[in-house]
Amino acid sequence: MFTPGSKFFLGLTGFSLAVCVLYIALVDNATGGAVALLSIATASGVVAGLSLFNRDGEVAVGDTAAPASAEQLTASMWPLIATVGFVGVVAGLITHPIVFFLGLIALLAAGTEWLVQSWSEGASSDKVYNASLRGRMLHPLEFPILATVGLGVIIISFSRVMLAVSKDAGAIIFIVVGSAVLFAGAIFALKPSLKKTLVVGICVASAVGVAASGIAAASNGLRDDLVKAKKEHHFSHKECGEEESEHFDHLAEGTISMRSNPIATIELRDGKLTARELGVDKVTQTITFPRSNDATIIFRNKDEREARLTAYLGTKAVQDGVVEEVLNCTQMIGIDHEQALTFKIAKPSMASEKPYTLTVPGLEGQSIEIMVP
Amino acid sequence: MSTTTRRIVAGVSGLAATSFLASCAKDAPQDTWQPKGSNAKIIDDLQQPVFAIAGVVGVIVFCVVVYCIIKFRDRGQAMPEQTHGKPALEIGMTILPALILAGVGVFTFRTVFDLSKTSDTQMVVNVTGQQWWWEYDYPAQPELGITAPIITSGQMVIPVGTKVLLRETSRDVIHSYWIPALNGKRDAVPGRVHTLRLDADKPGIYAGQCTEFCGLSHANMRMETVALSKEDFAAWVANQLADAKSPAENTLAKEGEAVFLNQCVRCHQVNGLKKADGSPAIAAPDENVWSGAAPNLTHLMSRNTFAGASWDLLNKKCRANVWGASSETVGKKYLAGVSEECLNQTDLRRWLRNAPAMKPMYADPTQLSSTNGKYRGMPNLGLSEDDIDKLVAYLSTLK
Ligand code: HEC
Ligand SMILES: [Cu+2]
Repeated sequence: MFTPGSKFFLGLTGFSLAVCVLYIALVDNATGGAVALLSIATASGVVAGLSLFNRDGEVAVGDTAAPASAEQLTASMWPLIATVGFVGVVAGLITHPIVFFLGLIALLAAGTEWLVQSWSEGASSDKVYNASLRGRMLHPLEFPILATVGLGVIIISFSRVMLAVSKDAGAIIFIVVGSAVLFAGAIFALKPSLKKTLVVGICVASAVGVAASGIAAASNGLRDDLVKAKKEHHFSHKECGEEESEHFDHLAEGTISMRSNPIATIELRDGKLTARELGVDKVTQTITFPRSNDATIIFRNKDEREARLTAYLGTKAVQDGVVEEVLNCTQMIGIDHEQALTFKIAKPSMASEKPYTLTVPGLEGQSIEIMVP
Repeated sequence: MSTTTRRIVAGVSGLAATSFLASCAKDAPQDTWQPKGSNAKIIDDLQQPVFAIAGVVGVIVFCVVVYCIIKFRDRGQAMPEQTHGKPALEIGMTILPALILAGVGVFTFRTVFDLSKTSDTQMVVNVTGQQWWWEYDYPAQPELGITAPIITSGQMVIPVGTKVLLRETSRDVIHSYWIPALNGKRDAVPGRVHTLRLDADKPGIYAGQCTEFCGLSHANMRMETVALSKEDFAAWVANQLADAKSPAENTLAKEGEAVFLNQCVRCHQVNGLKKADGSPAIAAPDENVWSGAAPNLTHLMSRNTFAGASWDLLNKKCRANVWGASSETVGKKYLAGVSEECLNQTDLRRWLRNAPAMKPMYADPTQLSSTNGKYRGMPNLGLSEDDIDKLVAYLSTLK
């Protein structure tokens, strides 16, 4: 009376109920786990009932006249992959989490495919119909996943190449590859009569080529300037003196500041530093800056030379008895360019021995005082 | 009259009476229909006619609907002949509302631009919201007698007839500043500075509250704008610029100062307060409070509400005296601050005893992992009644 499927799910129900009882008995604060286990029991109970009710969905039951099923079965690689996945899971538990997760993915994928395939093969005696049944179940899963993986491999490989070659070579590669894709696409579109195998061959060969160069490039490492930048952690090491900005992104200076919402605009013109506060139509030498709150100012260079704005933000103790000045600054700003500078001053002006200021390194006698209330 | 008709009449007259009575609220300090400043009047000048137009349109539509319901109700008559479409009517009914909306739109835009002008600013106040109170700092503006920055909380004081520009921002989440009698609302957004014009015609205390949901105690995030005559404002400024004076030796207040240095100064600044070694005591709310700030208490007793303007520092009688005062006398009464006899001991003590019990604030010391060990609001410091006596005595000196 019990079908094989229902036996499995009934077993699962009983097992999870038993574990649940044990869990509640043995674990303090067992609510979450008990709820999970009970949910499993409930779900498998429902499925067990369903499979009892429809006799495991065995369409073939009334179809005993169908020819022996031996020749119907297609050769399947899923058991093999499932085994590999299982081994991966076990091996991953003792070696590396990555192995575990790859194994788990293989196991899940193989399990799903295997399940659906054997179900579809038992559906009827018509092989073609069975295959279409399998396709209807699995294609909505397979296509997006394979497409994502395929695209991901190509994108990652290509980006590894771009990170490894010099900036100029990168531009050339981009142009060449882009033109090649456009060219191939155009040919395929204009000549629909091209042999399918040829088209597929070209696509596969290019994909393999990209992936191979990606692997080669990745094992080759980043290009020199990126390696250096990574080592120097350059976003936290700004140069705030008169020196050139070595690590700043020069293209950012003209754009980002436009969109920010500055509390004041600082302008350098004819060797003079002036400030204008938001909402006040007046030029000033003192700005009020919120205490203990990030805020943004804009530095606008209208002088005849490159200049940088440096903010003196008090001192901080780095070790017992050793204090260090806290500075923040823009990069060297080109003529007629501007950049936003966001910072925070935690303590009011009265807590600082020297006033907080904004200055241009190398320009004597010009400074804007930052009042922090 | 049939029962149905009687029911309808009763229902309609009940509705009418309710809405009539509702419009007669007497003690409604946050009434948007009573502008007390030029910006609020600009808004009022728009909303009155728009409301009238909308009202007329609404009444017409309502009457037509009622007429149709009664006239064409089902009396068992035969289905009348059906027509489809009436181009003249349809085009007319599209153009008419479009014209009305266009008219309203023109005036709305004018109002929006009028309200966002900053060129005529006469005074600037920086307004910073945080969970769940407002901080105000006044940049130095010598022409107004403000020779050094002033910092206060809860109640913002402005001179009458002066175009004040608020620069609003926030230290944590989005809040919104709204004094209905003086202008519309404007969001205070972290990382951004928004401007809002404000001015008051007459001296008075104008109430408002945060109008952007900002967490647990959003409802307890209130504020007031206090408008004073120019002379009274100058007196207020002079008082705010002064440091707090240390209480005389051998007084309860002096002992309170010691408790304050011990327990409170890590969050609260009192300008002029010195540590035992004579160096100035600098508060570090940035290290102890999630938003990075706690109210400056130098002139606590110069304001008459506390903790997000949600509780009174004045007892009932004194409060009625100040808040109910005429515009001629309110300034002097406000400037008198909170005297010993007027102090609302009950609520202040309750606050010191267990602030989070009064105002929900996530200030449970065992639950600070999500805020890096910082408090959101003022925690329960477990003070003894003795310490509270001393602290109240000390706080009373912070005029
Ligand atoms: C961990 C930081 C912290 C400590 C310590 C602390 N406070 Fe507070 N206090 C706050 C914060 C934050 C507020 C604002 C709470 C609000 O309004 O929501 C506040 C508000 C107040 C207010 C109301 C002020 C106003 O203008 O609205 C008073 C009075 C006060 N605290 C007194 C004290 C006293 C006295 C002590 C010492 C016993 C103390 N506080 C210790 C953080 C602190
Ligand atoms: Cu708020």
